[in-house]
Amino acid sequence: MKKYIEILQASGADAWEAIRTRERGWEFYFIGHKLDQNRAKNVEHITLKVYRNAEDGTMGMASASIPPTESEEGIRKTVSDLVYQAGLVKNKPYRLNTPKPIDPIPVSLRPLKEEAESFLEAMAGMNETETEKLNSYEIFTGLEERRLVNSEGVDVTETYPSSMVDVVVNARNEEHEIELYRLFHLGGCDPQALKQDIGELLQFGKDRLRTSPTPALGKAPVVFSTDAALEIYHYFLDNLNAAYVVRKMSSFEIGKPIAENVQGDRVTLESVRVLADSPSNFACDPEGAPIRDAVLLENNIPREYVGGRMFSQYLGLKDSFSVSNWKVSGGTKSAEELRTGKFLEIVEFSDFQVDSMTGDIFGEIRLGYYHDGEGHVTPVSGGSVSGNMAENLSCLYMSTESRRFSDALIPAVTRLENITIAGVE
Amino acid sequence: MKAPFSEYLNSLMPGLQKLIELLSGHYDYVSALSTDSKGLAVRISQHAKSVNNQTMTTERGTVVRVYRDGLYSEYALDRFDPASPEAAAKEIREALDEQLDLLRKTGTQIYETGKLADEPLELFAEKETEQLPEDAKLPELVERLTAISDKGMTMSENMLDCMANAQSTHICKLFLTKNRRLRQSYVYSEGMVMAVVGRDGQNRIGYQSISALGGPEIFEQLSDKLETAVENAMTMLNSDRIEPGEYEIITSPEVTGLIAHEAFGHGVEMDMFVKGRALGADYIGKRVGSDLVTMHEGALCAEDVTSFAFDDEGTPAGDVTEIDHGILRAGICDALSALRLGTQPTGNGKRENFEHKVYTRMTNTIFDSGKDSLEDMIASIRFGYLLEGMESGMEDPKHWGIQCIIQMGREIRDGKLTGKVVSPVIMTGYVPDLLGNISMASGDRMVFGGGGCGKGHKEWVKVSDGGPYLKTIGRLG
Repeated sequence: MKKYIEILQASGADAWEAIRTRERGWEFYFIGHKLDQNRAKNVEHITLKVYRNAEDGTMGMASASIPPTESEEGIRKTVSDLVYQAGLVKNKPYRLNTPKPIDPIPVSLRPLKEEAESFLEAMAGMNETETEKLNSYEIFTGLEERRLVNSEGVDVTETYPSSMVDVVVNARNEEHEIELYRLFHLGGCDPQALKQDIGELLQFGKDRLRTSPTPALGKAPVVFSTDAALEIYHYFLDNLNAAYVVRKMSSFEIGKPIAENVQGDRVTLESVRVLADSPSNFACDPEGAPIRDAVLLENNIPREYVGGRMFSQYLGLKDSFSVSNWKVSGGTKSAEELRTGKFLEIVEFSDFQVDSMTGDIFGEIRLGYYHDGEGHVTPVSGGSVSGNMAENLSCLYMSTESRRFSDALIPAVTRLENITIAGVE
Repeated sequence: MKAPFSEYLNSLMPGLQKLIELLSGHYDYVSALSTDSKGLAVRISQHAKSVNNQTMTTERGTVVRVYRDGLYSEYALDRFDPASPEAAAKEIREALDEQLDLLRKTGTQIYETGKLADEPLELFAEKETEQLPEDAKLPELVERLTAISDKGMTMSENMLDCMANAQSTHICKLFLTKNRRLRQSYVYSEGMVMAVVGRDGQNRIGYQSISALGGPEIFEQLSDKLETAVENAMTMLNSDRIEPGEYEIITSPEVTGLIAHEAFGHGVEMDMFVKGRALGADYIGKRVGSDLVTMHEGALCAEDVTSFAFDDEGTPAGDVTEIDHGILRAGICDALSALRLGTQPTGNGKRENFEHKVYTRMTNTIFDSGKDSLEDMIASIRFGYLLEGMESGMEDPKHWGIQCIIQMGREIRDGKLTGKVVSPVIMTGYVPDLLGNISMASGDRMVFGGGGCGKGHKEWVKVSDGGPYLKTIGRLG
C-alpha cells in the first residue's frame, strides 16, 4: 500500500482513498457427492479513488482498479489520469471520513483447510433418502483482508471469513423428478444449521412432487417463511437509505409513520454491529465509517436515515454509515397464530422480488401450501403473486420468532394480507 | 481500426509457456487463460457523477487448469511473474496438493472425467472498432451524458432523476496449452438512459439501452433514447393494473429476447444435462415450439457484447441451431461437459472472470425472424397485450417453467391498440406452451446486450438476446 499512498499523496488530488482486498479461497464443486472440480485462488484487488475540488465549489471523483502486477510507472499514469478525470465531473461537495475510535469485532479465523473440512463433512452427511437427494452443490470458503486508507488519516484493516454454499436438491417419485435451489451466504461452517436448512429444502422437494396447480385466489393473504421474506424487509431498509431519500425515491420521513390506519404489526428495523454467524460482521463500512447499533425504523416511524458518506452528508447526517447486519422485529403473534384462516404460504419462488423504488411485488410460485381455513392443506405450484408494498404496509403481520438469513435477522413468518394470486387452475 | 492485443499478455506468454511445461511434468493436461481487459464507465445522474475504469468484465489475472487421475483442478492468481514461472508452479502445486490431502482425508470420491484433447490450434483475432475505451474523449462523453440527464429533467414535472450511463470494455484474452496458442482482442460497449418519475408516492422507471461490438463511438446514439425512456416512465406512472389471466400477447423484440434467454438458453446449457437438471436432454429431436420457432445461440450469431473468437476454455466460437422449425436440435456445451456427454463443445464455456469456474453459458441467443408485419399481428388480436420492456427473468430448466417481469403491456382490443397501458406485468408459464402457441413472427429483429446473466444467483456474465415481434398466448399477472 505504501507505493500507492505515496503516489496518491504526490498526485495533486484534493483527497483520495486506497482500498486493498486480499482474498484466499478454496472451492469444491460436486455432482451428487462426487467431486466435479476443486479450485483455489490467491488474489488481490486494489481500488484507488481520487477527489478534486473545483473553483465553482463542486467536487469530482474518479476511481480505478489497479492490477497488483501494474508497474510503478503504470500506477503513476493511472493516478494522473484519475486526477484529470475527477476534474470532469461535478458533484455537490462532501468530505471523506475522518479517523474515529473503532471497537474491533473479534472474529474467529479458522485456516481454510479446517473450514473446508467442516463443509465437506457437513455436506456429505446430509439426511438424504432414496427419493430426496442432493443433485449437486458448490462449497466456497474464503478469507478476506480489507484495508482502507484515506487522505484524512483513516487506516483500518479488517480480516473476515466468507463462505457460500450453493445447493440443488432433487426429489422424485415414479412419475417425475423436481429440483429446488438455494444459495447460502455464511460466515463460517455451522454444520447443524446447514443440516437444518438443507433438511427443510429436502422436505420442500418431497412436497413439491405432490402439488396441485395454484388456484386463482384473487386477493388473499400470503405467508412468507423462507429467505424470500428478506426482499420484503429490504424495501424498508432501502427506503431508509440516504441515497433513496436525496433522490426523492423514498417517501419515508423522520418522525412520520410510514402508513396510516395500520391494522397489522408495526415494523422496527435496526442496524446491528454483530450478528451471530453473519458473513458481514464488520467494524467499519467500506468507506471507513464505524458501524454502530442503531434503531432506524421504530414501530413504523423512521428514526434515522443511514448510508454512504456522500448522500449522508447531503442530508446532514452525523456519524452515518452503510448498514452491514440488520434486524427486524415488531411482531405481536406467534408463527402458529399467523398461520390461521384461509391463506397461501409460499416457500419457493422462481425469483421473488420487491422493487424498493416502486414497491412492486412479483414472484412465480414454485411451491406453496394452500390452507383452506378448514384444516385442509394442499401443496400447490405455478401461477404468480403480485402486489405493492404501499398497499400492504397497513396489513403486514410478523411473528415474534426470528430467523437469520445471511446478514439479517427477520421474523420467521411474515404475512401480507393484500396480495393478488394469479393461479393456473 | 483493429483493437490491439495486450502487450502485457504478449509479455507473459513465454513465462506462461514455461509454467505449462513445468506443470506438465506432474499433470496430464495443463492450460492457462490470462486476461487483461480494460474499461471505462461514466455514470451521470442529477445527484451523483463518476468516472471509473471498472466494468462487469474488466480484469487482469491468470487461471491455470490441470488434470490428473480423472480430476480437473484450477488455481487463480493475479501476480504471475513471467520471469519466475518456477515460483508460480510451486505455488499452484502446493495449494492443489493441500486440497487433495484434504479430499483424501474426507474420503471424497471423484467424478471421473477423461482428458481434454489438445489438438494444435493457433488463433489471433483483433476485431474492428472505431475507438478504444482507453482513448475515449472523456470531456465530450461526460458533457454528452450530462446533457442527456439535464434535458431529461425538463421533460416532465414528475421527473425525480435521469441517469445516463456509458460503459466500454476492451477484452484481451490469451489461452495456452502445450499445443494451443489463442489470442483475441475486441471491444464492446453499452449505454443506458433511465428516467425515474414519481407522483403521490408512486415511482416508475423507464429505461432504454444500446449495445454493440464496438467502442465509445456508439454513445453518440444514446441521446436518441431519452425521449422514449421518459415517455415510457410517464406511461407507466399513468398505467393500470392488469387483471390476471391468459391473454393473446405480442412480445416486443426485447421481451422476445428475454423469452429466448430464459426458455431455451438456460434450458439447453449442457452442464445441466450432466447433472440431470434440464428437461431439454430428453427432448432433443422432439417438438418444443411451433413451426415458426427457430432459435440460434453462439458468439458468431450476432455482433454484440459477447461476440468473442474463442471461449474461456480455448474452444473457437460457434453458431448452434438450437431449435429448427419447432424441433429441439442441439444444446450448448462447455468442454468438460462435452467430454462427459460424449459430444463436442460449442464455444460456450465462460467464466465470470479468471477467478471463477467455467460453466456452460449463453452468448447471443436469438429467435429467427418471420414474415408478418407488426400491424397484421396487432390486427389479429381480439383482446390481448403488446408487451414491452424487460425487467428480469428466471428459468426453471427442470420443469420448463418461466418467469418474465415486463415493464408494461399495451392493451389491444378488436385489432387495435386502445391506448390503455398496464404495468408492471409478470408473465409465467410452461415453455413448450408459450413457444407452441407462437403463431406469427415479424420480419425484422433486434438484439439487446445491455444486461447480464447469472447461473442460479451468481456467476454474472455478459449476454445478448433478441428476435422479432412474436404473437403467442401468455399467462399474465
